[in-house]
Amino acid sequence: MSAQDRDPTPDELLAMAYVDGELPPAERAEFAARLLREPALARDVAALQRLAVIARRMAPPEPADQEWARLEKGLLHRGGMGIGFAAVLAGGIGLAGWAAWRLAASELGLAPKILLFLLLGGFLLLFLVVLRNRRRTLPYDPYTGVER
Amino acid sequence: MILVTTFEVPGREIEAVFGLVRGNTVRARHLGKDVTALFKNIVGGEVAEYTKLLAESREQAVDRMVEEARARGANAILGVRFSSSDIAAGAAELLVYGTAVRLRSPAGEPPDRRSPPPRD
Repeated sequence: MSAQDRDPTPDELLAMAYVDGELPPAERAEFAARLLREPALARDVAALQRLAVIARRMAPPEPADQEWARLEKGLLHRGGMGIGFAAVLAGGIGLAGWAAWRLAASELGLAPKILLFLLLGGFLLLFLVVLRNRRRTLPYDPYTGVER
Repeated sequence: MILVTTFEVPGREIEAVFGLVRGNTVRARHLGKDVTALFKNIVGGEVAEYTKLLAESREQAVDRMVEEARARGANAILGVRFSSSDIAAGAAELLVYGTAVRLRSPAGEPPDRRSPPPRD
């Protein structure tokens, strides 16, 4: 039995009412508190919000949309974009590695070398933490389906 | 929730005014989209990456404003205005604001607090 075939559970009904703004203030606050404790419920609410945001779109598709969709499915587009970004990424990582090696092999004193590596390592760590957090919160972002 | 840019809704009387409500957001797309947008900027046409960015920001800001109005017990926001500014390169900041009010239900109809009419 698929999710469409069965009756919604009480939690699903509550989530729908929450997204549609139909809960009285006390029930709304109680449900919002549950969202903090129950990540699965929060994901369900985000999915409903995503549907609500997309359903709000009133503008009909434009003629260019179909052509864009066709182009983006094409081998030339996918291959070109994939190879292009892979080349940029590989070049960037290679260049960073080469610069790090040249820096390590340079005649610069030990203290400035350590400080530079700390600086670059710190930036890399910050970036990775932000990237990880973004990936973790992406399922809760209902606005990624909005096109225009 | 009724959202209008006018300061009144024809046929509906303002029952209570809750004051200013607003929603804002600053959103960015990832570097890959910025790169493709850069090339579209060179060849011309719509930069769909940034159209999407602005649309996402607009919807999120509106939702935050509606949420604030709803928490105050309003069923409409009058005089809705949008504003934008530059916070960071490649990011879109959208501010939307208006006056939250409660409109009296039309004669013969029940209060619409639990089943508000669609926003659009």
